[in-house]
Amino acid sequence: MAKKKTFVEDIERTLYDIRNEDHSVYKSESGLTPDIIRDISRRKHDPAWMTEFRLKSLDTYNHIGLPTWGPDISELDMDKIVTYVQPDAKMTGNWKDVPEDIKDTFDRLGIPEAEKTSLGGVGAQYDSEVVYHSIQEDMVKQGVIYTDMETAIREHEDLVKEYFMKLVPPKDHKFAALHGAVWSGGSFVYVPAGVHVKMPLQSYFRLNAAGAGQFEHTLIIVESGASLHFIEGCSAPKYNVTNLHAGCVELYVKEGARLRYSTIENWSRNMMNLNTKRALVEKDGIIEWVSGSFGSHVSCLYPCSILHGENARCEFTGVTFASKGQDLDTGASVICAAPHTSANINTRTISKAGGKATYRSAVKVTKNAPYAKCSVNCESLMLDNESRSDTLPVMDIEGDAAEVGHEAKIGRISDEAIFYLTSRGIDEDEARAMIVRGFVEPIAKELPLEYAVEMNNLVNIELEGTMG
Amino acid sequence: MNEQELFSQIPMRTWRWLGVNDIKEPAGLAGEPHRHQIVAQPGADDEVTLELRESGRHEVQAHVGKGARLHLTALQLAAEDVPVTCRIKVLVDEGGLFSYTGVEAGASETAAELTVHLAGDDARADVWSFYFGDGDRKLDLNYIIRQSGKRTDANMQVRGALLGKSVKNFRGTLDFIEGAKGSVGRENEEVMLLSDGVRNRSVPIMLSHEDDVDGHHAVAVGKMDEEKLFYLMSRGLDLAEARRLVVEAAFHPVLDRIPEAKYREEIEAYLTRRLLANG
Repeated sequence: MAKKKTFVEDIERTLYDIRNEDHSVYKSESGLTPDIIRDISRRKHDPAWMTEFRLKSLDTYNHIGLPTWGPDISELDMDKIVTYVQPDAKMTGNWKDVPEDIKDTFDRLGIPEAEKTSLGGVGAQYDSEVVYHSIQEDMVKQGVIYTDMETAIREHEDLVKEYFMKLVPPKDHKFAALHGAVWSGGSFVYVPAGVHVKMPLQSYFRLNAAGAGQFEHTLIIVESGASLHFIEGCSAPKYNVTNLHAGCVELYVKEGARLRYSTIENWSRNMMNLNTKRALVEKDGIIEWVSGSFGSHVSCLYPCSILHGENARCEFTGVTFASKGQDLDTGASVICAAPHTSANINTRTISKAGGKATYRSAVKVTKNAPYAKCSVNCESLMLDNESRSDTLPVMDIEGDAAEVGHEAKIGRISDEAIFYLTSRGIDEDEARAMIVRGFVEPIAKELPLEYAVEMNNLVNIELEGTMG
Repeated sequence: MNEQELFSQIPMRTWRWLGVNDIKEPAGLAGEPHRHQIVAQPGADDEVTLELRESGRHEVQAHVGKGARLHLTALQLAAEDVPVTCRIKVLVDEGGLFSYTGVEAGASETAAELTVHLAGDDARADVWSFYFGDGDRKLDLNYIIRQSGKRTDANMQVRGALLGKSVKNFRGTLDFIEGAKGSVGRENEEVMLLSDGVRNRSVPIMLSHEDDVDGHHAVAVGKMDEEKLFYLMSRGLDLAEARRLVVEAAFHPVLDRIPEAKYREEIEAYLTRRLLANG
């Protein structure tokens, strides 16, 4: 009997693909020149050091080549990307003051509703600028700062200057240099020592303009003994021209602090998502990454944790779903640079309909990190043989006192598992659905509720015959 | 100084700072390559042992015919002050079995590439090897098994121990090509780190363009099992003796596959000497 394929639906994108008319009040010229950078800097009222920083970054950008590995990004023509799009809206702390079309967009995405029920603060960026930011009063009283980066530079300049792009220096790679030159928007969070932020803070990034880039900068400092859960969401409507996202996230987790950073990335399928995320974790600190990559045409995303203090820990949980036309190259990197540091990386990837999912990771244990322990587990599920699934982990260990383990699996749904479940009286279709849900369950349970619901769309299976 | 020539590359590149993309040819290699051609005719059952004791480049081309079995043993036991490279390329036809036993236990610097292509349906590769690094030895290894036939079966088992200031890179790739339906692949590397001056890089790669496959890889890197050492020392062995026993036990699944006793004895004596010298 011929096998029938199980059909797994794509994520429903209608909600994300509703575009608004472009009412931007200013767009930079496309391409990159010192004059464009100076113009962006002037419009953003940057202090002199930031203008200089941008121009130096542009120079670095012009001298660094493209990466020699990873997905093909030859479609990206920087001369056609508009790097700065100023929406027709001023930053406000009052939702009513946000222009109607922008408000409608975020309403559809459920942002204000989530703020009322389960969030401690919300930031919303539309194209290149943050249009709304709010934080609960009691958190402000405890000294928590949650604001857009532009306000942070004005009101907390010394703090920003001390940390900005120190963890991800512009010379790191070409797109870090690009970010340093044209960054705009993003969130700044400062949690004072010993303060536990009980409700998550969430920033949502929406890129509406066609052919534009979004380069938001997220800078989070969690002081000693403090804790925070930060959620980041990203989406854009689909256009026929290439859009670019080259954001940068810098996280400082101080002694004994804990930071959970959750991301659901659902960019449209014309997006090049070349994002850089890095955390520096001090003694006894914990960084937890929860990362869902569903959208974009091409993604390169490998959150990096530098475990700098003794006993620092990293937990990374990620899921990637690559469908038709997508090349999603995701994973994580960990650098153990102090004794007794530990990391646990756990990922799942699914590829279908010609999609390409690559898991790429690096675990490095330096000579200064005796008794470091790292465990890596990645599993890949392929739903057809048009698709690709690759796994490329690297472990680099110095010294004799570290313990590193890695395990990976690639395959499809096993006939034995289906047989077992059906022999226990479970309907065959349900058995398959259970297996796919079970495959992503370790990740789904780590997501905030509304995102877990979104991810359940991923396993919205129309079952027909066997998978294979 | 002349730039070293590229000897081998991993099938998929990654971050340059990790230093695993390329294998350069060791400096100081001279002369024409030592070439070997091996053909296992259809239905044959052949055993070939290669002793790689001389400095220089060694190149092996092997073809395993339909339904044939070739057991190739390659023992790299070169003097400790000379560099060696070894490149082995194997094509396996329908129903053929390539069984490989490799030992990397000599030379000042060694670069080795093993490429096995399971081209025929039901072709199999059973690859077992161990490496031993001590002193300033550098080992740069790249094993690739490509599976394009239906129902092919690949097994790659690698054991290693590193002492002194030795540096080792091992890349092991299982590559499932589209159409390799019903194929399975297993890859496992176990590394013992025995001195704080060592550096170990492990790169287990799995590439898949076919959904109807079952691929697994695993790597375990760590120091010697202290409980085993404690047990042996409680029975009266000193630390060096206990370490020797634990390392030998880890290597035995590979050593036991070497067909001739004289080689096994030579390698065991070599390991004993080196482990006690580094004790």
